[in-house]
Amino acid sequence: MRLKQPKRSESLIPTASMADIAFLLIVFFMITTSITVDRTAVALPTSLERVEVPKDAAVVAVERDGVVHFSDGTEQSHVINMSDVLPAAAFVIEKNSLMWFIIKADGDAEYQFIDQVMEQLRQASVRNIAMLTQQEGVE
Amino acid sequence: MKLKKKGTNTEIPTASMADIAFLLIVFFMITSVFSVTRGLEFQLPKNQDTPPDSTQEEAIHIHVIPAGADCVYEVDREQMRLSDIQIYIEPKLARNPNKFVIIDPDPEAPYKCMVHAFDELKQAQVKNISIPTAAEKASWGNIL
Repeated sequence: MRLKQPKRSESLIPTASMADIAFLLIVFFMITTSITVDRTAVALPTSLERVEVPKDAAVVAVERDGVVHFSDGTEQSHVINMSDVLPAAAFVIEKNSLMWFIIKADGDAEYQFIDQVMEQLRQASVRNIAMLTQQEGVE
Repeated sequence: MKLKKKGTNTEIPTASMADIAFLLIVFFMITSVFSVTRGLEFQLPKNQDTPPDSTQEEAIHIHVIPAGADCVYEVDREQMRLSDIQIYIEPKLARNPNKFVIIDPDPEAPYKCMVHAFDELKQAQVKNISIPTAAEKASWGNIL
């Protein structure tokens, strides 16, 4: 007697939904990706009180050794001399007097650098300033 | 004679769809940066020659002095821990909610110390926080 051959099981991996999953991920990353104008690596100070800072604000980044990066909010930031913050900020304020300025400074930078930046922003008639911080407890 | 009709294939090739999609995912994963968008806000006063109405008698003065990697806080000439600043300020603020508080960091003090002091004042809901710059302090004379 001839035995019946066992039925072969199908060995297909269902890939029909693969593209759906992939596109879902693409949409997620497209939405969450923000074009940052400043990529200066600084160790931000921590604070408990934190509010959302406005988008498209000008950025003044101060590194630990006092190197200053400036962005007007649209272009990528570039290194400028400390004494050039005033004309750069004045140029931005001329276009929009209520422009927000974000100070993104290293927590270990000496305060005198930030003092010089603040003094120049004040002279450039900047009104709105935000100091970027990290959540306290997250290092 | 019967002609043989060749049937055209009407399927859209989707085999490479997942490849393209994953390529895009990898691109967005690499290029995306989780940027910090939160911080402490404050408004600078208008550029004026006259100092604001904050004299030594009525304002609380916080002097931030560097001490190694950390700082020492002198509140009204009295050394204080950071956590004690709120306790010291609250009764004064209850009497006068518009009380001025001046943060006066040493030029050599780390920036984070000033931020910590500022954070404490924000938590204590101080409305008038002043951080005079070195040039302002020079123009005020010996107010501080």
